[in-house]
Amino acid sequence: MKKIIISFIIFSTLLSCKSQAPKLVKIEGKQTIINETITSDKTIENIIEPYREKVEKEMTTVISYTPINLYRNDGDLESSLGNLMADLCYERANPVFNARTGKNIDFAMFNYGGIRAGISKGNITNENAFNLMPFENSLVVVELTSEKIKELVNYLIEENTAHPLSKQFNLAVTENGYNLKINNVPLDNSKTYFVLTSDYLQTGGDNMNFFKDPVNIHKLDYKVRNAIIDYFKEKDTIKVSLDGRFRNEKTLKN
Amino acid sequence: MKRRNFIQKSTAATAFLTLGGFSLQSFASKNSKHITILHTNDVHSHIDPFPSTDSRYANMGGVARRATLVEAIRKENPNTLLLDAGDIFQGTPYFNFYGGELEFKLMSIMKYDAATIGNHDFDNGIDGLFAQLPHAQFDFLSANYDFKNTVLNSNVKPYKIFIKDGIKIGVFGLGIELEGLVDPKMHKETLYLDPLEIAQDMSRILKEEEHCDLVICLSHLGYHYKSDKISDLVLASKTKNIDLIIGGHTHTFLPKPTIAKNSVGENMLVNQVGCYGLNLGRIDFYFDSDKSLASKGKSIIV
Repeated sequence: MKKIIISFIIFSTLLSCKSQAPKLVKIEGKQTIINETITSDKTIENIIEPYREKVEKEMTTVISYTPINLYRNDGDLESSLGNLMADLCYERANPVFNARTGKNIDFAMFNYGGIRAGISKGNITNENAFNLMPFENSLVVVELTSEKIKELVNYLIEENTAHPLSKQFNLAVTENGYNLKINNVPLDNSKTYFVLTSDYLQTGGDNMNFFKDPVNIHKLDYKVRNAIIDYFKEKDTIKVSLDGRFRNEKTLKN
Repeated sequence: MKRRNFIQKSTAATAFLTLGGFSLQSFASKNSKHITILHTNDVHSHIDPFPSTDSRYANMGGVARRATLVEAIRKENPNTLLLDAGDIFQGTPYFNFYGGELEFKLMSIMKYDAATIGNHDFDNGIDGLFAQLPHAQFDFLSANYDFKNTVLNSNVKPYKIFIKDGIKIGVFGLGIELEGLVDPKMHKETLYLDPLEIAQDMSRILKEEEHCDLVICLSHLGYHYKSDKISDLVLASKTKNIDLIIGGHTHTFLPKPTIAKNSVGENMLVNQVGCYGLNLGRIDFYFDSDKSLASKGKSIIV
């Protein structure tokens, strides 16, 4: 019996020898970590070199100076870097918006998580701007109803986080609720507001859903990083302070 | 002499393959073939290795190291394909300064065979991608982006068939839904077609009409979502005749390639290797025309 089976197999194997199409019999999968144990290919290195030199030269170019460390977490509900970011974006974007619409932006708001790196005291380079804003987000102005502004305020209070806000926005959290002033005026329910933010946040990033479905949206075609670089280039020294634009007055009273 | 060496070598390999089987080994070895698929995804312009100070990926990655590894594997098995599942662009100043020129040049020197298009590859607009194409000596494959009303028309193919050691390998590309990810002013008139329908169509064409021995889907759909959004795992379960889905977009690090069941209950592989060129994926396919082997079906070792 055994003999018969073996000879049958040999027979069928011989038959298959000529015309049988190749069949998949085994698959093996694995991955290799690329790390310093692998030597770099010289040809590739030589091609990269001139590109790397130019990028490094550009990145280490000094474009401004800060007398203090700029961080996103050096305040309670605001920060030096958050205030700077929101104010500089406003300063760069408002002339563009005004030239196109004849109107002014009311204030700027971004997200705490979007500040990707601090800037140490001393010279500011292009690299600082890239580290601060590695993403290709662009500036947009959304026209929001007062209802949406209230949602925005509730989001800020609930999050209890130092999300970057420009100086035109002034919010105090109180025992009984909050006091809000925009450009020194309380919220006007009959008015719409022009808020500067990024396209990432406008589309619902960081759950800022109040930016979705605005009355109007104006894309400025201006990258956040370019606004930062342009601002740094025109300022010899960066001046920024914590001014209590978003603050908790509940704790102050205790 | 050379030939005898070859036979000895492959006999040993075959003996291992057949798990001590009883086929005529020197004969069977002539019929066994070996195809290696190497792949990356979401490299995001990471040309240089991460610095030693990086909090997560210190000293990892680097194109020049990847090139050494790929070259060594090609020496071991010349019947190798090197593929990328998209998002080649965006993530380091190399992209901001050079728009992807260096990424494409280096991939060409490493002899990448094909890549699909990720959402970030539109970051300088479809014109920005088009402008860099002269630096790419490999094919861009996308079956579900319709580029006919754009500059990319005729520059991107739905699929390509590679023949290595007589084995026909069909590779097709799939891209993610652009809405909400890519501004229309960047992708212009690019039309997104249903990836599932296209994949069913592609796998049928490649298997039944083109008679490919191996069908590979190069996908930028993403590995898996909590919602019912189309993903590589969903695609795997709703298609047949695809042997391997190489994925991207979700930057998924898998401990090993995923064995998935397709729509007719056959096992196939879904793989993705994280991002930033930190890993190189490798899938080896072994073929045999020996009937006694082939009738046993395929074994998958991951």
